[in-house]
This record gives sequence, C-alpha cells and structure tokens, in this order.
Amino acid sequence: MTISDQKMNKIDALLRACRLMLRMSKARPEPRKSEVMYYHMLAGYYTRLLNAREEGKFVAAHTVFFPSEILYAMDIVPMHTETTSWMTALFLGQYADLLSAGAELGMKSEICSPHRGLAGAFAIGALPRPDVILWSNMVCDNTAKSGELLMKITGCPGFFLDHPFQYTEDEVNYLVGELEDMVRFLEEQSGQKMNWDRLARIVAEMDRQIELLRQINKLRQAVPSPFHPQGFLELLTVDYLFAGQPEATEYLETLRQELAEAVRAGKGAVAQERFRLMTLFLPPMYLIGFLERISQEYGAVSVTEPFFCSWGEGRLDPSKPLESVARKSYMLPEMRMYGPLDDRALSEVVDCAKQFKIDGAIYYADVGCRHTCATIRLFKDVLGRLDIPVLTLDCDVVDPTVTSEEEIRDKLERFFELLEDRKLR
Amino acid sequence: MIAVDQNKVKALGIDIGSLTTKAVVLDDGKVLASAVILSADMAELSARSAAEKALSQAGLNFDGNLHVVTTGAGGKSVPFSQQHKAITTCLARGIYYLFPTVRMAIDMGAESMTVIKINERGRLSDWGNQDKCAAGTGVFLQQIAKIMQMPLEQMAKLSLTGRPRADISNTCAVFAESEVISHIHRLPPTPKEEIIAGIYLSMVHRVMALCKRIGIEKDIAATGGVALNSGLVGVLEEELGFKVLVPDAPQTVAALGAAILAKEGMDKGVK
Repeated sequence: MTISDQKMNKIDALLRACRLMLRMSKARPEPRKSEVMYYHMLAGYYTRLLNAREEGKFVAAHTVFFPSEILYAMDIVPMHTETTSWMTALFLGQYADLLSAGAELGMKSEICSPHRGLAGAFAIGALPRPDVILWSNMVCDNTAKSGELLMKITGCPGFFLDHPFQYTEDEVNYLVGELEDMVRFLEEQSGQKMNWDRLARIVAEMDRQIELLRQINKLRQAVPSPFHPQGFLELLTVDYLFAGQPEATEYLETLRQELAEAVRAGKGAVAQERFRLMTLFLPPMYLIGFLERISQEYGAVSVTEPFFCSWGEGRLDPSKPLESVARKSYMLPEMRMYGPLDDRALSEVVDCAKQFKIDGAIYYADVGCRHTCATIRLFKDVLGRLDIPVLTLDCDVVDPTVTSEEEIRDKLERFFELLEDRKLR
Repeated sequence: MIAVDQNKVKALGIDIGSLTTKAVVLDDGKVLASAVILSADMAELSARSAAEKALSQAGLNFDGNLHVVTTGAGGKSVPFSQQHKAITTCLARGIYYLFPTVRMAIDMGAESMTVIKINERGRLSDWGNQDKCAAGTGVFLQQIAKIMQMPLEQMAKLSLTGRPRADISNTCAVFAESEVISHIHRLPPTPKEEIIAGIYLSMVHRVMALCKRIGIEKDIAATGGVALNSGLVGVLEEELGFKVLVPDAPQTVAALGAAILAKEGMDKGVK
C-alpha cells in the first residue's frame, strides 16, 4: 500500500488551526507571551513541512524521542509523526478517520491508539509522504514495531535506531555508533552532508534548554504553582519538535521569566489553588480543554509530572556532538519509564511528591499502553507509603470512544472530594 | 413512633439510584427512619418521594427544617438539597457508622459495582469501580433471573447446592447471557443450580479483581441491593476466605452516609 494522493494530506489544515490558535492566544485579555511564541513556533514548524516539497527539502518522518537534532543539523525537515497525527486528531477533530484507517490495517482497538492513528494517518494520506522513515525502540516496543509498517504504507526507505535500555558507557558508545550509521544513511538518502559545526551549535543550545527546563520545573515547586494546569504538555511539544532550536530557547527563557515573576508576586495559575497534583503519564488529548476547565473550577493544578518534566543530571558537550545527542536521550524524563522499571523511577516519584508538596496523584492508565499500565500497583504503593492517594483513570490518550468527558468528570469530582475530605481532618 | 422535636433541623440523606431511591433521616446522629422507593424518571421527583416517605415514617413533614445531602445519579439536579456528595464519600461515611472496623466495602447496585477503601477515621482512601459493563450488577442478575425463570430469592437458595459451578467465562453482560442460554439448551442441559452458581462465581471474580486492584483489607462489608443476595455473598466469602459483613439494609448505606454528611454540614454551618 502506498500513499496515492498527496493532496489529501492535512498539513495545510493543521497549519490553519495553529494560526487560529496563535490568533486566539494573542487575543486573550492578558496574553501570555510564551503561549503566543509557542503557537508561533508550531505554525512555523508546519509551514516548513508544508513548503518542504516546493523548496526541494528532504523530509524525514520520525517517531517520538527520535533525536531530531541530527535532522536539524543536516537541514532536513523533520515531521514528528506522533505529534503531527495527534494534532491532526486534536485540532481537526479527525480521531475517527485516523483510527478507522488504522483498523483497516488490521489493528484491533486494544492496540496503542497513537500507533493505530499514526498508521491510519499515513494510510489515508493525512500525513504527507516523507522521504524517509526514522524510528527507534524509544520509548516502547510498539514504537519499535510501528516503523516497518510505516515503511510499507509509505513505500519509503527507513532506518531503525536501536537504543539500549541501560545507561552505561559501553551503551553510550553503542548508541553513538548507531547515530553514526544513521547519519550515513541520511547522507546517502538525502545527498546532504552532516554539518558538524551546526550540530555542535544545536547541542550547545540543547544544553541551555535542558538547564532552562530544570529551572522551570523548580519554579513549579512554588505554592501556589505558577504554571497553568496542563502546561507541561506545551513543554513536551517544544522538546519533541524544536530540540536545540534557538526559538525554543527563547520560548523557554520567556516562560521561565513569566513563572519567576508569578512566583515573586505569589500568583498562582488558578484563582484558588486547592489541590496540588502529580500527573503520571499522558491525559486524554481530546479532553485537554475540559481538564483545563475542571482544574480551574476545582483549583486543581498538575504541579509535577516526573516522567515528563524531571530531566536527568548531566551536561552536554558541544565538542562531542554525537555523544551529547546520545547522552541527552538518557537524560530525558521519559527515560525512567524506558525498559525495565528500576528504583530510579520509583524514587523520582517519591522525591517529586515531597518536593512539589502534592496532595494526590492522577495515573492516566492508557488502556492500550501495556508499558505503563503494568506499573500502576508499584506507583500506588510508593505514594501510598507517603499517604498520598492515587486516582487511576482508565482512559485512552487519543481514542475518545474509550472514556467520555462525563466519566472523567465524575471520577475527578470524586477524587477532589476525597482530597477535600482529607484536608478536613 | 419516636417522639421527635419538629422544630429541630434534621439531616436527610438521599441516594438516587438508577433503579431505587433511598432516603435516611438522622436526628442527633441517630437514624430516625429510612425509605426505599422505585426511582422515577426525574431525579427531583424520586428524591422528593423517598424523602417524604422516610420523613412521614419519622412523623415529620417535608416542609420542615431539613438539611439535605444528595448522592447518586442525578443527585446534582435536586433543587432542595444543600449539597451533593459523591457516592464513594457517602458509602465510606455510611458503612463506617454501621461497622467501624470495616476497611473495605463492596457496593453492588443496580447498574454499578464500586469497591471503596476506608481509613481508620472512616474516611474514603481509595476506590475502584466497574463502569464499562453491566455484568456483576443488579440489573444483570435480574436479567439472568428472567432467563432462569425464577425469582432472585430462589436463585440465591439454589446456588448453594450448585456443584460443580458452570463455567461462565464472558466478561460482557450480553455475552454472558448467551452463555447461560447455551447451558440451558445443551444436551443434557446444565443443571440450573450449577448455572446460577457459575453466574455468581463470574460476578465475584469481577468483584475480586476490583478489590485486588485497590488492595484487599479486612474487615469487608457488602452494600447495595445485590448484597441482599445470600447466595452471591456466600460465594464472595468463599473466594475471600473470610466472613463479609452485611448491614440489615445494605441498599440504604449511601443514603445513610449522605445523611451523616448532612449532619456534618449542619454542624459546620453549611447553608
């Protein structure tokens, strides 16, 4: 199966949606400068993708956590497959089309919906045909398997980046070897040479960004928390799409400044902060607007997301760019959930619970994600030892047919009532 | 009838369920009266009828001094209630009032199955509920009773002798019904008592999965209308390996909890 009609792709519509969001963010009574920058960046990302063909650019579709720094350094236009298909679903309301196309590829509803939707998006041509498909085993085995299917659907050549689970020097060296192979593959396919100086600059920028992300995370420890309830999703997207890009540094600096000012002024993200929450894994994307509203309504703020915002220790060295790209992959917050779950993940959750003074945690148990659901008991137990209640919300990150807004509201209200009741003792 | 001071504010808890609506009246923390009625289409009407029935049993008028807390489906749309509380919070308060040693309650209602954990202070600490399928609920049992052509009470008695238990493996209410029908029509047919015992066991497996998800902790109580089914509770005890506490009126526990919360609200001056 190959994509037959390039005109079917939704990037144009996605770009219009991003521009609309940009206009809406500017039109707020008190526009948040970083939010305006965020949508401006998104619009820029999809403009580059939309114009890539016309400008004769080489396009690489890559799965989540793939080191896009390499692509930027080679002047290759990246297309983050999960984010782009999620946004197509989210902004354009096309969940059903993508998931139903995934079903036509033989994928049952029990399979991870982002991968079903992603394959479906390529199959119906919602995403444009790239020049290459790049994928890895980060952060789950589903991703490792999905690349070959995407190659078949698109008819594109592809490269699988084998990322070792453990962080040892031997495995960093192995990963550097993998990255070298990938650079050679991309050079052969694109006819473009790696610009090592540019990669060094990107690594330096990335190092700065990681430091800013750590500072932003630290600012969120303040009571009341200064960042809006679902704000971490913005941070994720920035790293997914703009790793090492100067505009991302500018965005993060602006956001850090805004948060620092809010902390100084004692101004919280919600009118009256009542519940400080830890978010474990991803909430349903189609309910982000609702979650933002209910957070405001109940004064419930996600103040910490250990697997999305707690960056690992270490610095990047621009004089060793490929090694730095390899090391960065181990510093990613999501890496704690990669491969066998070790004590680091559990101790990170405990540390965050204490540092961020949380009242409760919400575990978004994505029904299609065996990777995360297998750990529910472990996290409930460690938080239980701190007397912190955990709400397990069975849901799906993309597929709205699994859980309705009403069901989520009912469970959240029960949970907020439980938290309120505990405060009365 | 107990002599009641008409002028004193009474705490009234109302649990509006999909099948029945329950009301409990409290005075000075003591249960004055309770009522169970079939739910009407409108939550407000159900709540009012149940409240009037319970109040009249206590020699009180609906127009008297009341502090009302509602819970359950549609509880938010009752204009005469001062507060609406989640069913889980109400169950915790209600069961702790009846059995202070209880740390886990299994509530099996007409269309829901909820398991709650309660701390030593009687506060809700965790819960899990089955919200994807009717298998394991009262409505499912009624449907099975229809297929088996016998009342629920007879089913409960028959189940006690049902050995071996028929294998009912399906996790979906509709498909489980199909399995039951297959058992009835196979040659030779599976004895009815074995089918019923199998149905109970399949329901208990669902309950146990929920209990295990939040961690089993003694003492355990069973609440909700389904807890009146001694056959099912027997299978539950067998699976748990210990006795389960069942209140005299298990279906009114959430309403009782709502009444207790109404009393707490009155004490705190909630208007």
